[in-house]
Amino acid sequence: MAAGELEGSKPLNGLLNALAQDTFHGHPGITEELLRSQLYPEVPPEEFRPFLAKMRGILKSIASADMDFNQLEAFLTAQTKKQGGITSDQAAVISKFWKSHKTKIRESLMNQSRWNSGLRGLSWRVDGKSQSRHSAQIHTPVAIIELELGKYGQKSEFLCLEFDEVKVNQILKTLSEVEESISTLISQPN
Amino acid sequence: MKAPLPHPPLAQRMQIRDCWALIRHLFEARNTLVDFQWKLGMAVSSDTCRSLKYPYVAVMLKVADHSGQVKTKCFEMTIPQFQNFYRQFKEIAAVIETV
Repeated sequence: MAAGELEGSKPLNGLLNALAQDTFHGHPGITEELLRSQLYPEVPPEEFRPFLAKMRGILKSIASADMDFNQLEAFLTAQTKKQGGITSDQAAVISKFWKSHKTKIRESLMNQSRWNSGLRGLSWRVDGKSQSRHSAQIHTPVAIIELELGKYGQKSEFLCLEFDEVKVNQILKTLSEVEESISTLISQPN
Repeated sequence: MKAPLPHPPLAQRMQIRDCWALIRHLFEARNTLVDFQWKLGMAVSSDTCRSLKYPYVAVMLKVADHSGQVKTKCFEMTIPQFQNFYRQFKEIAAVIETV
């Protein structure tokens, strides 16, 4: 039985999920033989291989172009019309898959293309330092901030920073400048 | 022959443990911020994705440790991450003002 004739969306949906895990989310151990034996056991390996390559290629094209739904429909329709392309049932499965997984795949692609550390987490507390000499008491509150940083696929690094009130306000001012830049960028036409 | 010394009671053992935790805490590596530089970038395209199109905030921190040695730390944030970062700093400012 040819892979192209095996309809019923379950095997193809499973295949697309596995391909996404392998290609975008960095999940190890997803081999061609594993996919064939689990999802298409009746298809011979020499037939499964080009089918798998075709599906992987389609998924990569869709993700690479970050297709919106109009582009997706046009692309998949073209694929159904070409020699050795896909069936309309397969097109429907791929379309549904992309619509529900687009955001997560895109996020993985963004993470993969970031070569600096990303900000994985931030926690903080404020301590009230109190010094007492004789009867005088000086309160100097201090903010302690822990940043969790990490590069794609690597362990986190923790950076602990101490700020007094003056420093916190200085940073706030800088951050408001960043926000202003972002607003300017977003309001500009493409 | 003297009886062996009894183990210190649990409460005492916990106090000793807390002391070590306190000593470790006092020598905790805390840095002060010397400089905060930023840029707003736009990732357009890459070898794995031709249509990236996402803005990001890149930050370069210069931090001094307790010995005065300065090191640089760089990281990036997506826009939603930056907005959360900014919101948290506003909360810190609000709290520190009241302490």
